[in-house]
Parts: sequence; C-alpha cells; structure tokens
Amino acid sequence: MDLTYGPEYETFRREVRAFLEKHKGGAPSAGMRGAEADPELLEWQALLVDKGYAARTVPKDYGGYGADADLLKTIIIEEEFQKARVALGMESQGISMFVPTLLQFGSEEQKRRYVKPTILGRMIWCQGYSEPGSGSDLASLTTSAILDGDHFVVNGQKIWTSTAKEAQMMFALVRTEPEAKKHAGISYLLIDMKTPGIEVRPLKTMTGAASFNEVFFEDVRVPKENLVAKRGQGWEVGTTTLFHERNMLGRSHQTETMLLGCADVLRDTGAVKNPVYRDRFTRIEARVIAMRYHGLRLLTDGLKGRKSGGASLITKLNGCQLNHDICALAIDALHEHGVLRRGSKHVREEGLWQGQYMFTLGLIIGGGTAQIQKNIIAEHGLGMPREPKTVSSAS
Amino acid sequence: MDFGLSDDQLLFGDALRGWLGENVPVARVRTVMESAAGHDRELVTGLAAQGATGILVPEVDGGLGLGLLDAAIAAYELGRAAAPFSFHSACVAAPLAISLSSDAAAKKRWLAAIAEGKELLSFAAVAPAVKAGKLRGNALFVPDAMVADAFVVVAGEGDARELLLLPRGTPGLHASELATVDETRRVGELAFDDVEIGAAERLAGTDAKKIDRVLDAARIALAADAFGASERVIEEAVTYAQTRKQFGRVISSYQAVKHMCAEAYAEIEPVRAFLWYAAFAWDGSYEDASRAASLLKAHATEAGTAAVTTAVQVFGGMGFTWECDAHIWFKRVGYDRQMFGGPVELRAAGASLGD
Repeated sequence: MDLTYGPEYETFRREVRAFLEKHKGGAPSAGMRGAEADPELLEWQALLVDKGYAARTVPKDYGGYGADADLLKTIIIEEEFQKARVALGMESQGISMFVPTLLQFGSEEQKRRYVKPTILGRMIWCQGYSEPGSGSDLASLTTSAILDGDHFVVNGQKIWTSTAKEAQMMFALVRTEPEAKKHAGISYLLIDMKTPGIEVRPLKTMTGAASFNEVFFEDVRVPKENLVAKRGQGWEVGTTTLFHERNMLGRSHQTETMLLGCADVLRDTGAVKNPVYRDRFTRIEARVIAMRYHGLRLLTDGLKGRKSGGASLITKLNGCQLNHDICALAIDALHEHGVLRRGSKHVREEGLWQGQYMFTLGLIIGGGTAQIQKNIIAEHGLGMPREPKTVSSAS
Repeated sequence: MDFGLSDDQLLFGDALRGWLGENVPVARVRTVMESAAGHDRELVTGLAAQGATGILVPEVDGGLGLGLLDAAIAAYELGRAAAPFSFHSACVAAPLAISLSSDAAAKKRWLAAIAEGKELLSFAAVAPAVKAGKLRGNALFVPDAMVADAFVVVAGEGDARELLLLPRGTPGLHASELATVDETRRVGELAFDDVEIGAAERLAGTDAKKIDRVLDAARIALAADAFGASERVIEEAVTYAQTRKQFGRVISSYQAVKHMCAEAYAEIEPVRAFLWYAAFAWDGSYEDASRAASLLKAHATEAGTAAVTTAVQVFGGMGFTWECDAHIWFKRVGYDRQMFGGPVELRAAGASLGD
C-alpha cells in the first residue's frame, strides 16, 4: 500500500503548478469549460494542447502532444487544474469520445483530417446514436445508409443529440446492411452537418434548456470515404466510444466538488445545526469516500494491467446516483428557496441546484440507463444469464 | 501509487480462506451455534496456527507484528466464513490495548499466549468507574463472557477512562450469558461485586486517546466482518438463483432478481477499498483515521444490512427458514452494526461538517 505518487511524479506536479501559476491570470475559469468555440477558450485550448495538458496522449503526427499513456500524470493534471479552479480546456464528445475511437479504428487519412481540428476545439462534433425507437436497445436502430455510387444516402432520425446546432460534424451509427443480422448491419459514419437534407430541431428538456436536439435525415448524401472501419463493423467501433463516454460520466472528483458545494449550502442555510441534515449529509459523504477509494483501487488495477472484474462496472451507476442525491439534499436545505429557478428574485446560486438536480437525473438515464447498468453488472460482474429474448424482438 | 493489498497480504487472505473453507464449513459453524458454550477452542488454536491470532501482537512480544490492514483481511475472511469467533475482541481490541500500554508484566503474561491461541481474551468496552479502589456495577455485551480467560475492561467515562485487566476468577467478578440473535459470537454480562482494583489490575500507561484508538480498530474489524459477511451472502444468493427454477427458467434470468443482486453488489463492493483505506490510515495514525473508522463502520454495516436483506429475499421462502444459511450472515451483520456504535452515532462522531 502506497498512496504517494513518488518523486518523478512530484516533479511533474511542480511543473503543472508552475504552468498554472504563470497563466492563472488570463486563464478561463473552471466553470467556462464548454464545447462552444469561444475565442478565449480556443486560445487556451491551443496552449494546453501545446503543453500537453489536453489531448496529452494523442500522437504528435495528428496534432497532439504525443505523451505515453500515464494515468498518474493525467490525474495530477486534473487535480492541479481543479485546485486552481482553472478550465482544463474544452470538454466535448468530439474530444473525449470521437478522437479516441478514431485513433483506434480510423484510416490514416481520417486521422490526419479530423483529429487536429477536433482537439483544438475548432471542429465540433455531435453524436448520432440513439433514435426514437432505439434507446437502450441501440442495436435495433433503423436510420439507413444505402450505398449509391460514391455516396451513402442517409434517411432516418437521431435523438438526444447535444451540440447538434453548433457541430460541423456528426459521428453516427447507421444501418448499411439491411439484410445482415441486427448488430452486423451497422456502420460508423461521419456526416457533415451542412449537407442538404439535414434538419436540426432543438429538444427542450425538463430543465427548461434545449440541451439536446433531434436530427432528421432526408436523402442525405455522405461520401463513402466517411465510413470508419469496415461496413458492418460499426457496432464494435461505436460501443468503444460508449465506453469512453461512461468513463467520462463516472468520475469521482466531480462528485466531491458537488459535495463541498452542498456543505456550503448546509452552512449558509443553517441546516448544518440540524442533526437530521448532518446525518443525511454524512451518510452521502461516506458513500462518496467509498467511491473515492474505489476509484484509486481501479486506478491501481489499471496501472498494474490487472482486470478489475465487476468492480469496474459500478462506477457510472453509483456516481450518477450520488450526484443526484447530493443535489436533492442541497435543495431540501434551501427550503422554499429550493424551487426558485435561474432569473428569479431571491434565487440562490442562480438556481444551480434545481438545474443540477434535474440534469443529474438525466445522466442516470443517459449513456446507458441505470437499469441497463444493473443488467451489465448482473451479467458480466455476477455471471447471471441474460433475460431470454421474446419472439418478437429476436431478430 | 499502489492502492491495494501486497502480494503477501493477498497470499495470507487466500490461505486463510482455503483453511476456513476446509475446517470451518457452515456445518461446523452450526454445530458451535447449537452447542451450549457457543465456543470452539480448537478453532482458536487452528487460527493461531494460521497466524491469524497474533497479527497485532508485536514481534518482541511473540506475535507477527503486522498492521490493522492485515487484521482487517483476517476479519473479512472470518466474516465470509461466519466463523464462530469474536476476532474483533480477542485478536484486535484486547491485544492492542495491552500492547499500547506500557505494562511490561501484562505484555509478558498475555500477548504471546494470545498469539499462540493459548489464552482467550475479551474486551469490555463500557464499565463503571473505579471508586475508592473498588469496581462496582456491570458491563454488558462482553464478547466471550462465559469462556474468556481474562477481560480487558474500559472503566469510567470520557477523558477519565482507564483500562483494567481482570483474569477470570478475580474475586467479585461474575459472568453470565446474554441471548443474542448472532449465535456465532456469544456475548454476556460481567457483574463487578466490589472488585478490588490495585496496580496489578490496571494496565499501566494507557489513556483515553489510546482507548479511542483501540475502539477505532475494533470498529474497523467489525466493518471488515460485515463486508465479508455481506459479500459472501450475495454470492450464495446468486448461486442459488442460478439453480432455482420458476415459470420454466432459472430465477437468475429475471431482471427483478438480477437488479436486486446488482444493487447489493454495487453498494458493497466499494466498501472493500474504503476498508483498505481506513485500516491503512489507522496504521499510519493519519489525521483522518478516526473519522474514517467511524464512517466506514456506519457505511459498511448499512450497505451490509441492505445486502443481507436482499439475499434473504432472493432465497425466497427458503430464505426465511432456519435450514437456509442466509440468516447466519443476516444476524452476523446485525451484530456488527450494533456493537461499538451504530451508524447514526458513528456518523455524528465522524462528521466533517463544521458549524
């Protein structure tokens, strides 16, 4: 057991600190970490890529920093940026999900064309996976892409597409082989959002914000070189991307930050004097601590190249539920003020807790619902069998 | 960064699990449960041969001189096996209390004997204060009250607490049994009928701070026991669900059953890492060690309660019978939860919130 990082890493930590000390004044703050192409953020992103604090392991040939994968250095960077409350560059589905997938499955030409502008934040991507009829049963998707000469002709509809309005490109799962079995008929296609026949309609969520969209395709012609990997290989390529997404949704440092914010609410409102609130808070805190060390255990497994088995499957389920529970506690402590939303008189923290309370509920559903997570834990972690398919869905 | 058990620790845990599997199957646990004494001295001797009883006894005093993390591994394995043995008292709290003292005579008399499994000690966490050289009153929930060879007794309250060491047969010391749900670990009552307390009965060189450290260690051991018990019972429930058929298929293929098991697993699995940390922090006397011990025990036993409750339900009607083993772990976790502070009290003690 050793919880220190060792001298090599402490030297690295000092480098990160020195960088932050030097640039802190002009750096965008942590709250600004969005996907939009704000000029200040773009400049900051370019500097971070250049110094290896963003896109760290992306090879130099494709515009990245080209460092070896080193989990500890990645964590040190995250820790120090978080402590300094400085934005760790841009966070988007293009950077965290599309780029790793393309690096694994894309052609040389595709990597050269897309990776650099994406990590620099100049090319925004959206994800075209879910469809109105294909949510948890994603592989039943029906958006078709039929080869016609040099182009795939795409028809269908995608849903839950964040940043579709801002995005230049979409990475999508489409059905190219209608005759093949369910999973084998899917391909991974890159679609220019300016192509004629694409319509984006905002989808207002329960938070009141239009954070998602529906995207409609009518005879959209996509050059066939925009196919990633082979025809029919899309399921493998796409589920790799989902794995990157689940990793993004389950980080414990975000939960710890929320918990600190919740403690502030308890103190500001005086709820801290009420033993019932104290107990509820401390109960959540114990669960957060357990997930913190669970994360360190998974990290150690990763460093040693050991498999973590079922233990690696619970992070998303637990993390999303904890975030939601923390928001619920903060709202309760705010009493009537807990119902006020952004823009109201007397609102506290711009209605952040009510917004987060609903947004975190969305995350319990998004990226693989809690129920699907439980199936995965039961089947892959505990070795329980899949539910037998009913006749109508066995295709 | 290496947050995990060492190769030695993994080997020790595996060996102990193997030994318990062979020597302490549930059938033997049941035999001890149903016996009058509820105790099996051969098991203590066997555990001593496995190195489990002397983990926290310093090497100079005849033990292995290892840490609480090692003891937590043993406690976890004993919880998995539902071994009829009060490890947290006999091999954690009692030897720690003696070794943290400066009492050379007590160390010489008891520590090696504990490590060798020759003497069984018990730890009584709450007793009245000594007044005018006499101890009068009683101590409840004393592990192994009817069979222990000697008792380490916490006498008094708050900062005035002190540690006594009273061998069985001390004039005025009387033990009687309490009937509790967990028959794998018996507890009793000690009555002190004007027991004379002199220098010989006191553990020299102890104070309230050291006593709190001992209590924290016992809490971590109980949390480890609860984690082992809940992990094992969920495994047993899953195994049962894989064979039990209803409506023409194994019940483990129903999502209603799968989700119950997945929820229990997701809740208890992170306890493992929390347990490692709390024990490691205790060993290093970290600043947050006492908080970690309190919150760990609160969390591990609540998650454990959810797990054992789930398991009994997965077993269905059988789970409600005496014949089904699930109730053994159900009660085991119930004991772990109530002793040395329940979840609500421990959270109040370990809260990080200021005012």
